[in-house]
Amino acid sequence: MFTINCPYCGERDQSEFSNGGEAHVARPKDPSQVSDREWSEYVFIRTNPKGIYYERWVHTHGCKKWFNAVRNTSTDEILKVYKMGETPPPLKEFKNTIKTPSGEPDVGSGNFSVKKP
Amino acid sequence: MTENKIYFKFDGKTYGGNHGDTIAAALLRNNVKLVGRSFKYHRPRGIYTCGIEEPNALVQIVNEHNEPNVRATVKEIYKGMVVKSQNRWPTLKRDIGSINNLLSPIFSAGFYYKTFMGPKGFWKRVYEPLIRRTAGLGKPPKEFKSKSIHLHHNVDIVIVGGGLSGLLAAKKLAGTNYDVLLIERDNVLGGMLNNTKKIKSINDQSTKDWVEKTERLIKNSSNIKVLKNTLVTTYNYSNHLIALEDKSVGKPQSNKNPELVLHKIRTKQTILANGHIERFVSFRNNDLPGVMLAASFEKYINRYGVVPDESPVIFTNNSSTFSLVKLLTDLGYKPKAYVDIRDPKKIEKEISELLKKNNIPLYSKSEIEGCDGNNEVKKVTIRVKKNEAIKVKTSMLCVSGGFNPDIHLFTQSKGLLKWDENLLTFVPNKIFQNTITLGAVSGNFDYEKLTNEIEKKLSIFKNTNDLDIKFDIDGPKKFQIKELWETKHAKRSYWSKSFIDLQNDVTTKDLKQAIQEGFNRIEHLKRFTTNSMGTDQGKISSINALGIVSKILKKNVSEVGTTTYRPPYAPLSFSAIAGRSTYDFYDPKRKTPIHEWHIENNAVFEDVGQWKRPWYFKKYENESMYDAVQRESKQTREAAGILDGSTLGKIEIKGRDALEFVNLIYTNSFTKMKPGFGRYALMLGEDGMVKDDGIVCKITNQHFIVTTTTGGAASVLSHMEEYAQTEWPNMNVYMNSITEQFATFNLSGPKSKLIMSRVFNNVDFSNERFPFMSFKTFDYLDTQIRVLRASFTGEMGYEIYVPPKYALKLWERIFYYSQDIGLVPYGTETMHLLRAEKGYIIVGQETDGTVTPLDLNLNWMIGKNKKDFIGKRSLVRSDTIKEDRKQLVGLIPLDKTYGIEEGQHVIENEEISTPIINPIKMLGHVTSSYFSPTLEHCIAMALIKDGNRKIGTKLFVSTPNHQSIPVEVVKPIFLDPNNERMQI
Ligand SMILES: [Zn+2]
Repeated sequence: MFTINCPYCGERDQSEFSNGGEAHVARPKDPSQVSDREWSEYVFIRTNPKGIYYERWVHTHGCKKWFNAVRNTSTDEILKVYKMGETPPPLKEFKNTIKTPSGEPDVGSGNFSVKKP
Repeated sequence: MTENKIYFKFDGKTYGGNHGDTIAAALLRNNVKLVGRSFKYHRPRGIYTCGIEEPNALVQIVNEHNEPNVRATVKEIYKGMVVKSQNRWPTLKRDIGSINNLLSPIFSAGFYYKTFMGPKGFWKRVYEPLIRRTAGLGKPPKEFKSKSIHLHHNVDIVIVGGGLSGLLAAKKLAGTNYDVLLIERDNVLGGMLNNTKKIKSINDQSTKDWVEKTERLIKNSSNIKVLKNTLVTTYNYSNHLIALEDKSVGKPQSNKNPELVLHKIRTKQTILANGHIERFVSFRNNDLPGVMLAASFEKYINRYGVVPDESPVIFTNNSSTFSLVKLLTDLGYKPKAYVDIRDPKKIEKEISELLKKNNIPLYSKSEIEGCDGNNEVKKVTIRVKKNEAIKVKTSMLCVSGGFNPDIHLFTQSKGLLKWDENLLTFVPNKIFQNTITLGAVSGNFDYEKLTNEIEKKLSIFKNTNDLDIKFDIDGPKKFQIKELWETKHAKRSYWSKSFIDLQNDVTTKDLKQAIQEGFNRIEHLKRFTTNSMGTDQGKISSINALGIVSKILKKNVSEVGTTTYRPPYAPLSFSAIAGRSTYDFYDPKRKTPIHEWHIENNAVFEDVGQWKRPWYFKKYENESMYDAVQRESKQTREAAGILDGSTLGKIEIKGRDALEFVNLIYTNSFTKMKPGFGRYALMLGEDGMVKDDGIVCKITNQHFIVTTTTGGAASVLSHMEEYAQTEWPNMNVYMNSITEQFATFNLSGPKSKLIMSRVFNNVDFSNERFPFMSFKTFDYLDTQIRVLRASFTGEMGYEIYVPPKYALKLWERIFYYSQDIGLVPYGTETMHLLRAEKGYIIVGQETDGTVTPLDLNLNWMIGKNKKDFIGKRSLVRSDTIKEDRKQLVGLIPLDKTYGIEEGQHVIENEEISTPIINPIKMLGHVTSSYFSPTLEHCIAMALIKDGNRKIGTKLFVSTPNHQSIPVEVVKPIFLDPNNERMQI
């Protein structure tokens, strides 16, 4: 039950928002030109990191605007909120405070190495 | 019966208590010790504590919706209250269930998992009824009436706990610019100052005067709001707290006002000053009524003026029990014996001198081995220094096993703990949020250090008041303790038990057995033994369990660790959580403008999302649904029928790039479609699966109106918004829901054209002037309506869109002009039947998120020449182009008298062996099935593997009674394959 600072409305209760999954997964410009693998990665594959995550939110019960957020998934701390189309803040701007015994990377899960935004 | 007594009933007998008494205080006042039976063994249980930590004294309040599991140590009495003990049958004193106590070998650790494994069928017939009758706590209330409201707060600082530390913090913050909320669970401020006389005076004032003065100061400061009778139950992430206020303390529940207020609080900083909880010690029969925690015993005297016993035996491992001896001797009473496990040299001289002065025998380096008595304590056995045991007659035993900071909320906040070797308990170590702990909860048990601690920790706040506080302390200045979790006891009988969890009847032996069986992780151990899983969550005992486990495992307690503390701190009734969201307020009912007419015409309604839709209309009182649907369908095909389709989702799309946008959202191409025409359209997800369908109407290339399924209206709009905002932000396109701006009627049947030309006699409805899938807008009264020639029944048909204000009038007008025609109103079931005869799909019935347009033979709806649309690329993935995917087919039973049911499996072989040995190959399932009154046989649609190639073959539909129905696989269209009926 955290709050989210909607870039259009200001700080509101989490229950007003819906999560839209990972951010910066761009739809291929010309889908007919990409391979099955590339397309299926766009449609189905998302990272699931413990730690810093770039994700999309929509203010469903508010202004209905989509925006991006950087959240630490292990603390639910929202580190940054920025509008659609704005340049994502670089990863080095955030300190990933959670180190796990399994030694997961700062971004991405153990299964997928993630393209750093 | 005196005037100022408050009379209430407990198990049918009337008792009198004083104003402000809890049920427990009033019962003790009347010398009632036995108040309940235990959960598993039905052992007699009494009042163990004097507060929220109570594990035993749970009662049922009969006159308050029969509310179960109410703590007798918290609930205040009022005139006419009716209280019942729990878990006993037939009466509290003679309880048949206590035979469980003799069966205890089978009720040991993990008994739920082990005992009730078999034989087959025993669970339902024997075990479950047995457990349901004899185990479990109180009975759930039968009726439910929520009388709670929710309140939201946004403050700078929350102080949890209005005891000494909380009051000092409030005093420091009084009159500052901070917005402060002080929350106290009791109905008075002062906390332990009300319960013990450990502090004689504060700044040379009596503690009572000091509390009153401080409360006045807080009240007069404009920045602090005080909530009493309010329990903080939950400490969430980002300093979000939930607290429950009881408005009906000490009075019967009112029928008018809310009795509970659930406070939802957001704060910048939380100050936890919620004190500590005394813990018990495990010894033989430590559950007998008459055993009570020492500080609770003291609280009954100081707070309620009830002396539970004039000469109890006191058993301790720490310095805190000084105040109890002092209190009793000051009142002229004399404890029977003082048993301290500590070495005489370690016992504080204040204690030994006090005992000596009052001639109270001190047994140092000794422990209580156990206690005996039938239904209550009669004597205790003290194991003195050299392993010799002496027996002392007494009716009460006061126990102190030390104190635990009440870390529940702190750990809920995700703060980390550490083991304190001096206090022998877990204390807060690292904060995770903006949290400050003060006083006992922070592990500071010494009053002399308190002011300093508060000054230091609250120095982060600006312009606060200085605390100038001097305590006059009675007794030992420093808290000291020696480790003790359990005393040794010689096993005497099955009746002899040493409990670690009183509420769940878990014994120390269960812990040992569980560890032997390999459950040596604390979280596993907890679940296997159910230790600390009761409504009290082991508040007086869970740390003891860790102590015992650490001894067995030969580990430090900090290595064993604690189990996870989860909200709520204490049980929260569903009524409090529900608030006003009950019954009609829980979910809105959406009604169409024709709703009243439907009721008058005997519609039976179906819930479609929040909508109330007519399912079918009863022509006469006893008409069955089957008969009604057959009648409605037949009449629609023979004359005309009308459906209230107002619930259909409607979205208006406008903008310079509206055409391009619609082309990308739907599979079809709308580029060449002329304005004034509509088209049946499919919407896919990016995975290529059918998401929704509807009709797209083009007004101009910059203006479209689309319909959606009733259930998909909201999700389709947000799907469009998502793509417009995130993928194509440069497109000029806007969309808006107009679902409720237009009522929609679907008129169809061979006579529908005639009806339309009578109702709107200035419009030309000829096929040439009003072709299929065209729409026209025209004046009607002083508004405009839009009519689309479309059909979901396969008949000549029209969709009429009219503003809601004019809808009922138009609906009635249509019936007025159809009196000689036999127009029938029909509901959703007939709509489903009519479309099934034509093989039209329903999204969500023929599709389930794994079905592509190709699987549905809707290839014709795909704009092949379009460069892109959502899901297009997925239609040529290796999986979606497979030819043997599940495809939509029609099924007709070979024996036309047979029926098929939706959901039944389609199989290859006729024979189903019983019992089933080998798996039966399932080809797919029936998605829709109806008896067609026009064709006079059953028609069904099914999704089956490689369906297209199976057309013309014979398959079988399995039934639950192991029969199979032979069916012919046909194309999924049963009536009028050339669509001639739509063109008459
Ligand atoms: Zn917003």
